[in-house]
Amino acid sequence: MRRFARSAPSKTNKRRYVDIRVTDMNAADALWWDTRLGPTHARDASRADRLWVWSVLLPMCHLVQRAKRRHCRPLVVWARADTGRFVRAGMCLIIEEYPYLDVRHPADSDFLWFLSAADSAVLRADYAMSHPPALGRVLLDMAIVLSQNAGRGGRMGLHAARAGGDSLLAFYAHCGLNSLPRRAALPPSVQRPNDGRFFYADEAVAEALAAALDPSR
Amino acid sequence: MLLDAKAPATLGAVVEAVARLSTLSEAKILELVSAGKLQDVFPFQPAGDPLLPADSKADEELVEASALPLRAAQRATIVSASLPNAAAAKRRAARTKAPSRKIKSLLKK
Repeated sequence: MRRFARSAPSKTNKRRYVDIRVTDMNAADALWWDTRLGPTHARDASRADRLWVWSVLLPMCHLVQRAKRRHCRPLVVWARADTGRFVRAGMCLIIEEYPYLDVRHPADSDFLWFLSAADSAVLRADYAMSHPPALGRVLLDMAIVLSQNAGRGGRMGLHAARAGGDSLLAFYAHCGLNSLPRRAALPPSVQRPNDGRFFYADEAVAEALAAALDPSR
Repeated sequence: MLLDAKAPATLGAVVEAVARLSTLSEAKILELVSAGKLQDVFPFQPAGDPLLPADSKADEELVEASALPLRAAQRATIVSASLPNAAAAKRRAARTKAPSRKIKSLLKK
């Protein structure tokens, strides 16, 4: 069994590691995120999550997935500030038992539906965090770890929000995820044409990505 | 899942919205949310306690999430904690003084 990562590299100094903790997300976390970070994120046109309202998103995701007989796992990543205390720095929402995107190998997987990292400048300026963590890999790892521990082999998938443009595609490719070719079919229950923005990890990719973070657990 | 009857969205409207949204793919919902249209398709306004939680917590105050599959009861707790009123009610309950022995004995009767 793997745990979630408990440290992540600093965004500014990759050799420096920042303590992080993962908790289950509740309405208060969503309210805090919307109030404290939402206004800054909304002004940044480059952010795919600039208009996400977590206070509404959170109950909606649970309800919609329950209607589909699936479960959501909403999680918060906290990072240690200079004061020694922890501040919310990342949010994600994972769907469990989602159809695996590679239809050649029908199976269940985990689907990373929404993920968001706090604006680093706000963490530095308002929350005394000199070294905001780089959370991209950590957020992907959380879906992989849940999938592995649940017997789904680490298989996971995600759809890069169109609002994130080409830079988001490049980011997921850089993280080591497989890009699902645009011509590839999607599982029937995904109910959508493939727009070329789906990524996934198979068992081997998942294990390699998870193993790379093992020293941080 | 419990919905607050006093919340701005009626239960019927929420159920209707969920039924409609559950016919859409996750990628389509992500698109709607990213376009700022979530409030249009899901008429839910958090009507809970506007009290913001603390900006930071000490390590020992954080309850780390389990990376193992959850039991049904744990899932139910996570779902109910996603509703503002449930979270607010929990905070209010924590702030409320525990009932005295006399009240407890009356409740037992």
